[in-house]
Amino acid sequence: MAEHILLRDLDVPDIKAFDVYVQHGGYEALRKAVGMTPAAVIDVVKASNLRGRGGAGFPTGVKWSFIPQSEPVKYVVVNADESEPGTFKDRQILEGNPHQLIEGAMIAAYAIQATAVYIYLRGEFWDIAANLDACIEDARKEGLIGPDVLGSGWSCEMYTHLGAGAYICGEESALLNSLQGLLGQPRVRPPFPAQKGGGLYYEATVVNNVETLTNVPWIITHGAEEYKKIGTPESPGPKIYCLSGHVAKPGNYELPLGITFRELIFEHAGGIPDGKQLKAILPSGASGPVLPATDAVLDTPLTYEAVAQIGSTLGSASIILMDETVNVAWAASKMMKFFAHESCGKCTPCREGTYWLRRRYEALLDGRAQARDIAILDDVASQMTGVTLCALGEFAVNPVRATIKHFRADYEAWIKQEAAEDKKAAKPAPAREKAAAR
Amino acid sequence: MNVIRGFATTLKYLFQQPATIQYPDEERPPRERYKGRHALKRYDNGLEKCIGCSLCAAACPADAIWVEAAENTDEERYSPGERYAKTYEINMLRCIFCGYCEDACPTEAIVLEHEHRLSFTNRRDAIYTKAELLDPPPAGLEGTPRQTEPGVYTRSIPEMKNPA
Amino acid sequence: MTTTVTIHIDGVPYAVPDGMNLVDAARIYAGVEIPIFCYHPKMKPVGMCRMCLVDLGFEVRDRATGELALNPDGTPQVRWGRKLETGCTTTVRAGMYVRTRTEQVQEARRDVLEFLLSSHPLDCPVCDKGGECPLQNLTMRHGPGTSRMAYDDKLHLDKHVPLGDLIYLDRERCIQCARCVRFQDEVVGDDVLAFHERGRRLQIITTSTPGFDTYFSGNTTDICPVGALTTADFRFGARPWELTNVPSISPHGPVGENIALSMRLDRDSGGVQVIKRVIPRQNEDVNEIWISDKTRFGHHFTLSPDRLREALARKRGELTPVALDDALKAAAKALKEAGNSVGFIGGPMTSNEDFFALRELAAHVGSRKLGLWPATLGDAAPAAEVGIASGSRLTELGKGDAVLVVASDLEEEAPIWFLQAKQAADRGAALIVANLRETKLDRYASRTVRYGLGGAVGFLDGAASDETLAQAANLVVFVGNEGLGADEHGVLLRAAANLLITTGHAGRRNNGLIPVWPGANTQGGFDLGFESAATRAMLQSAPDVLIVVGADVAETPAGAAALDAAKFVIALSLFPDATTAKADVVLPIQSFAERDGTFTNAMRRVQRFYTAQGPVGESLPAWQVIGLLGQRLGMDRPRRSAALVMKALAESVKLYAGMSYPALAEAAVQTPPIGISPGFYGGTAAAPTGGTGLQWPSKAESRAKLSVTPVEAPQAVHAGAGELVIVPLRRLYDRAPEFFASAVMHGRIPQPFVALHPSDAARLGAVDGGRVKLSAGGASLDVTAVVDATAPEGLALLPQRLAPGAFPQEPVAGRVEPVAEAVAAD
Repeated sequence: MAEHILLRDLDVPDIKAFDVYVQHGGYEALRKAVGMTPAAVIDVVKASNLRGRGGAGFPTGVKWSFIPQSEPVKYVVVNADESEPGTFKDRQILEGNPHQLIEGAMIAAYAIQATAVYIYLRGEFWDIAANLDACIEDARKEGLIGPDVLGSGWSCEMYTHLGAGAYICGEESALLNSLQGLLGQPRVRPPFPAQKGGGLYYEATVVNNVETLTNVPWIITHGAEEYKKIGTPESPGPKIYCLSGHVAKPGNYELPLGITFRELIFEHAGGIPDGKQLKAILPSGASGPVLPATDAVLDTPLTYEAVAQIGSTLGSASIILMDETVNVAWAASKMMKFFAHESCGKCTPCREGTYWLRRRYEALLDGRAQARDIAILDDVASQMTGVTLCALGEFAVNPVRATIKHFRADYEAWIKQEAAEDKKAAKPAPAREKAAAR
Repeated sequence: MNVIRGFATTLKYLFQQPATIQYPDEERPPRERYKGRHALKRYDNGLEKCIGCSLCAAACPADAIWVEAAENTDEERYSPGERYAKTYEINMLRCIFCGYCEDACPTEAIVLEHEHRLSFTNRRDAIYTKAELLDPPPAGLEGTPRQTEPGVYTRSIPEMKNPA
Repeated sequence: MTTTVTIHIDGVPYAVPDGMNLVDAARIYAGVEIPIFCYHPKMKPVGMCRMCLVDLGFEVRDRATGELALNPDGTPQVRWGRKLETGCTTTVRAGMYVRTRTEQVQEARRDVLEFLLSSHPLDCPVCDKGGECPLQNLTMRHGPGTSRMAYDDKLHLDKHVPLGDLIYLDRERCIQCARCVRFQDEVVGDDVLAFHERGRRLQIITTSTPGFDTYFSGNTTDICPVGALTTADFRFGARPWELTNVPSISPHGPVGENIALSMRLDRDSGGVQVIKRVIPRQNEDVNEIWISDKTRFGHHFTLSPDRLREALARKRGELTPVALDDALKAAAKALKEAGNSVGFIGGPMTSNEDFFALRELAAHVGSRKLGLWPATLGDAAPAAEVGIASGSRLTELGKGDAVLVVASDLEEEAPIWFLQAKQAADRGAALIVANLRETKLDRYASRTVRYGLGGAVGFLDGAASDETLAQAANLVVFVGNEGLGADEHGVLLRAAANLLITTGHAGRRNNGLIPVWPGANTQGGFDLGFESAATRAMLQSAPDVLIVVGADVAETPAGAAALDAAKFVIALSLFPDATTAKADVVLPIQSFAERDGTFTNAMRRVQRFYTAQGPVGESLPAWQVIGLLGQRLGMDRPRRSAALVMKALAESVKLYAGMSYPALAEAAVQTPPIGISPGFYGGTAAAPTGGTGLQWPSKAESRAKLSVTPVEAPQAVHAGAGELVIVPLRRLYDRAPEFFASAVMHGRIPQPFVALHPSDAARLGAVDGGRVKLSAGGASLDVTAVVDATAPEGLALLPQRLAPGAFPQEPVAGRVEPVAEAVAAD
């Protein structure tokens, strides 16, 4: 791609500075938006078919239009609690191009006529928060945030808030609870955040991901039609792909939606190092089902619909690659440990299920498991499916069910190894050492 | 003729061992599963097995058992876990020796033993108290209550292990 | 009212109110039990336990025409949800279809139970909840027969965690339903319980110091769906199936909480029936399913070793145990000599039957001196006129309504009304709290009014012009007597009646006056013609013979003086106290647990309590003792049972017409059914067996013409130079023998203290925690000073019945002087 839309720090060295950002057309979109009616701003975003980059892919303009205009108090909350394993896209935006996020958030706030914007950052982003506060201060000095924004008569404040280190707080209703000072547990829906009673302080609230809002200034400046030329009709626009794992050049790649796994991995990211074979792909961090690296998968375009069709989710496009040296059952146990640690404990299936699964994986890796344990893992995971309070419980079963489905042999290797161990006591675990050595 | 046959039978048994034994001078060992008087058992470490759950009393069809529970402390411990039987009484006049109490017991604390010589001269004596029912502690071990290390005996029901 | 919609549950159509919770609707209207753990009808749904999963669908309508889409066979098409939904977070609406018995639903229930049991300990044999445990019950009904959880994988946690000195937590048994956390947060409004950590380590903690210590803490053990929360009082006390629940009424306070006494034989008490625990009994008109900790734990006085067990009579100046007959003979002799110069004083726990017996005796001797204790109350006529209308429910107050609380600290005097007033405010009712000091209810008030000593009447007299009150859809006024003299209390009650008449609220359902009386049966005493004013008259000039029933008259200097002045004092009492010490004949009477009787609560509801345990010593019910005394004076022999006394009472007292024991034993249907009954919600609240009582209608309800009587505030007490006005306060936890006998509560009862404003304390030289001597009206008390910025200047706030010794119970000018501390020995 010629020029980055989101990761503009790669093109313009110091764009995180307010002056540099303004020199390169910064805050023009906000000026333009404030000149339009709020409804017109929503219409443009709706027309662009921008979809939420946080994972669910819900159309952003539609989300904004749910906000009842009659409510006197409304909020925009920016979800910067980037905690999905393998995701580091928002971090680069926040570090390298913060003003574009601030501008996007202000446009969203104007569109719904919000009274305040809260940026909820994960606790480890304390340095980013400090920098963001300075950026907000710069913008406020110029009248871009605060009372009577750009002379429009509309006032809006912006605050940052640091979380305390919980994955669940990336779930929007748990995030709202945490922001309110309550325990970070998801809420029952309905009411949805966009409704009165469901949002921040129980007022109507839009919750958007950092990357989503960073798209907005470009859409306002260039128009919906231009935007739709990037990517596919259903999933338009640029997307930041976070590549990690067994890949030659890991990192963030801003590319249009709709390129294939193969293009991304082998053309842009330099393929798999050491001439190894790609074995498995996690397309959306720990929470998406794993995919075997077959040709059919590699040729699938990276859009929300296409990835869903092959049985996984694009999510936040944090793509983790595993080569042939990885035992996928071992990888699944690591993910299960993560989910057991991060389950909030509010609903029974997730609280008890993740704990149970973690303990069974421990048994598997300790060589205490029996053949029937694979069935138990699969059963317990399926028991959790579709009955949990929030999406975390749904995601938590993905590492189990998909890995058993596609890589059953890796599980059996652990169990057989136990039998083999009786004979040759000193045989090392098949893949663990190698993977750990990387 | 018949008379002679009758006398012959008598004569035959006259020289055989008698089936009757001279109880109480002589005693026949009870069968393995004989259900005699109850005993309250102890663990090998001397703690009482009974946790005062009163399930035996609930199971008893004759309403012969009376249990009152109280709370263990590490300073005064009777049984593992939090609960022990403060009062445990069986009215042997009511008991029908059905053994349901033994079935109901979650800790195998109450067992119908082989003691069958129960006699009383008044109704009150027929009520066996905990002191009478409880087995003595294993040789060389302290009885109950006793002082124990905190945090050791936290569970009423012995911990179960996975079947191999 | 709400509209009715038709929903289908398991294929059967039911008409249910629109917007009702699905779990409730299924239980109440369809008799279909959707199993639940975390949901409780008294609290907001949270959807945590996932036990109530059901298959939810909606009928399909043609978008254009709005007509129902039909299957070929003519039945409506139903679009079923993609996955199961939690019933507790679903509200019913038209066209809803619910399936609760499909294989998918049953499997989901089985799965949730397997999860819940996966780390649940096998404690059922030792668990206090075992036998009445929702987790046990639902496991038997819906659970898997076996678990696939390996024993090695089970999580072990602390089993003995005191949350406070009354409530213990077993972390292993907890299923994280948050009922206790939500109860404290939503119902009580004191969020001292919280979750800590997350995931499988999620656990209940208390955030207060000292630990979990609200007045309602015991209720959490009732609603806990497992045995995770237990009370210090009942831990391992009995197995539930061994208990017999006897319906009863709380003897503490004016609310008349419906309770059940769980009885069991007890070896330590000599093999007799004893109260093992007190649980709430559902009565949506009174206490719903909540009881205060005083009611729950304050029952130990019934078997206190201090109870009077035999009659006493004065012989050569000493009270000596005598046979009951001899005591009665001595009493009768004195009565015969006195002619009609006989006075009667009934105390707060005296039942209606006892009052009636006293009234009959008074009529027989020709006396009209019927007094009520305490002597500090106004009259009940305003309450009889515009008292809260029958059938009213405080739980129905909400948006558009107003609750006014004047001169009362509801949390201390009537905790259940505190809950209900607070919850009415939560639902949107305007809550106005007027008092001369800060009380806890202020936190939830939409407005607080602070008046000076003697200012209550002035405030209430002007309240009719207040728009919030005048325009409220419904108006309930609570009137207490904190900081009021007896006359002022009477005038204040009248002013409250004037307000209700002026604003047009009088006589309508969910409207009216609730006097916050001090005793469980103060209202009944008034109803039977006993007056606090009559007591005051007797204290002024004592009759020859004074008959005192369950009242510690000697707790005030005037009372003690009157006992001395009377020639002969007959005391009927539960305990030996300062009054019995001055009596000539002391007769032991039975407590509420040993006899049948009725109490009338301050909402004029007459409620029955039943015999639960055997008598203590030679004690008899007070009505019977009085009857035996009457028999010696030539009356008929006493009636054979309390039921016959009540029958005679109902025939002679118009207000109580028709209130026979059978009528009072009738139980109103409780919706939703929370007490233990088919289809209840789990927990240990009893069903309303034994009767929910009958309320007599106020005068306003009979469309009688009501008129406003102008009021004028009496002169307020003034403190002279160097004096403060000492204002007695009622406190929930005091040292009266009826409560202090519960040793389990001793940690909660404060040392005797007086609260002083910092400037007063500085002026008097009193330091926080130092000892001070209060003296007023010839009496003095030695108490600890507490310097409290919320105490009004010029007042010394003195909680009653903490310090031993007589002291006035009305505001009185007096001295507060620091006592020189003895130098510590070390």
